[in-house]
Amino acid sequence: MPQHRSPTPANAWRLGIAALLCATLTACGGGGGSSDRPAPPPTATPPPVPAPATPTQAELQGASRLAAQSTFGMGYDAIVRIAEMGPEAWLETQFDTPTTSHLALMDELLANYDNGEYPEITEDVEMLILSRRLAWWHRTFTAPDAVRQRVAFALSEIFVVADGIDALAVFPAGLATFYDLLLDNAFGNFRDLLKSVALHPAMGLYLSHLNNRKADPVANTFPDENFAREVMQLFSIGLFELNLDGSLQRDGSLEPIPTYGNDEIREFAKIFTGLSYGGPAATFGQQNPYFRAPMTMFDAFHDTGPKTLLNGQTVPTNQTGDQDIDAAIDNLFNHPNVGPFMSRLLIQRLVTSNPSPGYIERVAGTFNNNGTGTRGDLRAVIKAILLDTEAVTADATAGKLREPIVRYTHLVRAFDPRSADGFIFNNGFFLQQVLRQHPQSSPSVFNFFSPDHAPAGAIADANLNAPEFQITTATTIVNMSNVVDFAINGDFVTDAGDAFETVTLDFTPYAALASDMDALLDRIDLVFTYGQLSAQTRTAIIDATREIPDPNQRARAAIYLLLISPDYAVRA
Amino acid sequence: MRHTLSRRQLLTHSCRLGVASATLASTALSLGLARQASAAALSDYRALVCVLLAGGNDSFNMVVPNDADQYGEYQSLRSDLALPQADLLPLNGLAANGRSYALHPGMAGTQALYNRGDLAVVANVGTLLEPVDAAAVEAGARVPLGLYSHADQIAQWQTGVPNDRIADGWAGRIADRMSNVNLANGIAMNISLGGTNVFQSGLLTSEYAIDSAGNGAPTLSGYDDPGEFGDYKRRIVDDLLAVPQRNLFRNTYRGRLRDAIDAQSVFVSALDAAPALGTTFSEGPFSAALRQIARVIAARDELGACRQTFFVLVGGWDHHDEVLDNQARMLPMISQGLTEFHGALTELGLLDAVTTFTTSDFGRTLTSNGRGSDHGWGGHHLVMGGAVNGGQIYGTYPELQPNSPLDTGRGVYAPTTPTDLYFADLARWFGVSAGDLDQVLPNIRNFYTPGSSDPPLGVMA
Repeated sequence: MPQHRSPTPANAWRLGIAALLCATLTACGGGGGSSDRPAPPPTATPPPVPAPATPTQAELQGASRLAAQSTFGMGYDAIVRIAEMGPEAWLETQFDTPTTSHLALMDELLANYDNGEYPEITEDVEMLILSRRLAWWHRTFTAPDAVRQRVAFALSEIFVVADGIDALAVFPAGLATFYDLLLDNAFGNFRDLLKSVALHPAMGLYLSHLNNRKADPVANTFPDENFAREVMQLFSIGLFELNLDGSLQRDGSLEPIPTYGNDEIREFAKIFTGLSYGGPAATFGQQNPYFRAPMTMFDAFHDTGPKTLLNGQTVPTNQTGDQDIDAAIDNLFNHPNVGPFMSRLLIQRLVTSNPSPGYIERVAGTFNNNGTGTRGDLRAVIKAILLDTEAVTADATAGKLREPIVRYTHLVRAFDPRSADGFIFNNGFFLQQVLRQHPQSSPSVFNFFSPDHAPAGAIADANLNAPEFQITTATTIVNMSNVVDFAINGDFVTDAGDAFETVTLDFTPYAALASDMDALLDRIDLVFTYGQLSAQTRTAIIDATREIPDPNQRARAAIYLLLISPDYAVRA
Repeated sequence: MRHTLSRRQLLTHSCRLGVASATLASTALSLGLARQASAAALSDYRALVCVLLAGGNDSFNMVVPNDADQYGEYQSLRSDLALPQADLLPLNGLAANGRSYALHPGMAGTQALYNRGDLAVVANVGTLLEPVDAAAVEAGARVPLGLYSHADQIAQWQTGVPNDRIADGWAGRIADRMSNVNLANGIAMNISLGGTNVFQSGLLTSEYAIDSAGNGAPTLSGYDDPGEFGDYKRRIVDDLLAVPQRNLFRNTYRGRLRDAIDAQSVFVSALDAAPALGTTFSEGPFSAALRQIARVIAARDELGACRQTFFVLVGGWDHHDEVLDNQARMLPMISQGLTEFHGALTELGLLDAVTTFTTSDFGRTLTSNGRGSDHGWGGHHLVMGGAVNGGQIYGTYPELQPNSPLDTGRGVYAPTTPTDLYFADLARWFGVSAGDLDQVLPNIRNFYTPGSSDPPLGVMA
């Protein structure tokens, strides 16, 4: 592993402190170096209001809520555009926006490096490791297919592959092509998604069905069971038979009914034998990674015996490996659990931690039939999730704790990030270290948190799940607040390292409002909490910041407090 | 307004003094720190350190048969996964079954600890509801939920309740009952180096998560600033977090951030005030975590702690692939960390007061999938400490043979010792009374009568 440059939180800290300290004192001389931007003109004009029908406050709040659920965060102007178009029309436009590829950017950055553009990076392996990370963050900060990017991230927390396996860190095309797969299939059909995931070499490496061979009675070896188990437990049907509304079916003794046992796992393990890297040098057993094509089936290493899958469905002997895989994917895809199982997971990732049975049933119903007879239409499913009545109304009891990555992307995207060369560089190492979360860096196939996590105390007592609380510890909760402080008050926006251009945020539209605290808070509330900021928190923020003389610093301090407040941390 | 505790103000609370003195308690109250006026009477300090090898360590390659015929069976069952016998590190003496065993070649430090009597092996331990063999499983005996599945098995090794899916672990249940032996200063009895975990989650208590680096607990930026800015920062953050929240999630978040900020100042002040540790630890996350634990233990008086549990998670043991290479890389790291931790506890004079034990999702298939092994059931574990009756193998290391009566398929051996007995030994040593054992380990009576004059397993002196 290369020595990545550690960020300089101490320095950012000092800057953050200096900025706020200046704000509380009357004389700060040269400004303490906290900002290289000129002070905003005292009478900056607000952005021009576009010609189309001016949205109501309720429409703006609805647009902001939708943006929080379906994207990595939006700034004010983008929220106004959503409101002007209307949620459904905007979503349709987003669905039709083509994929902005992570692989393409990764390749571009590697080509730049080969052309000597980043001389500070001296080790090829360092640039390889950085490339997919830089590509992920830049795309996530800037790509126009905002909903696709966000849904792909949700899918990456269900179909988990991660760089804990060294080969996936140092051969970055593995994770980048896998992410592109999720982007490309985000609004496609679930069957295609499932099959693509099953045949992707990054998944083959991660769950070890790559180079998995049929049983050898002489050597006393058997097919690898890893992927066979997880494709059922995590990627399609889950552990127990479900009703359409996601509730557990129960047997005569009121016990949950397992969807499969070890026998089925061993049968599916036979299905996933014979696969190895595809590409120009495809041979079974090859160890050199090739990630730019699906795995290839080598029938000589595939188990051609009979197999019994879910619900007793049999696969005849002597089919080709490809035929076996299609049969297994069909067997999984058509299991009645897929609709409610995947619907709950996607709702949890995008909207709320505790969807009602009715919500799950409505979405699962759409999964089973998109209205024109098609099963597994993810575009229809995502639309059903985001436009459901439960998604557009406030949840006074619970809601969803925002996850660290999305809190961070939100604060960057909302303030028009820019840099000298237009790349919004971030390597993510600092965030990963302090927040215990980084895309495609989950510690295991079980993601950063469990969909069923229920923290001890009031939440567990109320029989509620709160997955994101699982990575909200005494350390990460303080670190998250500090990350906000560094970015908003300290100008430590991203962890770009010395090789890449520094990223800055633009607070001038907020500074322009800061002469009127109510106007400032209205705007912050709209953009970040879609009108859900409590009156008392609002008052606390105003009282804390109204005396800060410099409007830019006043605006930043107010934004900082809102972004560390419980009102923002939990989407309700 | 809140103030950071200075070293001068820092309370110390020594278990050697027994019940916290009235002066101490009233000082604590006046500082607003104590929720309970006094600590229960305990005359010593004890700690349990749980090392979770997440993913399912292939422990049949960690503790290996070493006499000729059993090694031969091992070699034949494991085929390409068998370690060469010449490389194994022998354990002194014979197990109760009259056989000899050896450790993985990368565990010389562990071998030395075993042979000097400070480390024991618990053989073929696993999740069970009743004693079973393969025939009993086939005939429908009660077995754990989600056998062979990571999510269920890693949870059950922490809950001790294989017949249910619950969120509280056995150390959490201990803390629910025993936390009041420690000073109530916001630092939980259960301290995690591995973030949120089931093992330390109680119904009333949660873990206090710290980092391996630095002082373990980050400061909210500016909050401890000694000047005017610090005053300002504390005021605005305190006011923000004083706002009541009706929403359950928001209120939980508010409480966590508030508690984290408060606990941090207590924790870091205590670590700063504690004697520095002389023992050196090597690089690497496991050694770093154990080093931090040793530092916290060194600060036990400053923290007012008489009983603590620690949780360390070491991931990456799910070796469906390349099990030999991976274990050759990872087991030495475990052995090295344990050896260094043993050295630090010796330095602190607390070898008898701290017991370290391993857990894992499951053992793995004895048979190979051609490159690695798959999910199994029973596995072997290590217990280290001065209070351990070391140099012995507890439970029964199964006879390896084709068609073993324990083989439930593919060389997955049913456990011969339930986790209940393993955990009960540790819990009793830690101070859980015979009367509380049912609450801490609800299934214990499947295998043991609390209050019996015999120990559950006998690992602990």
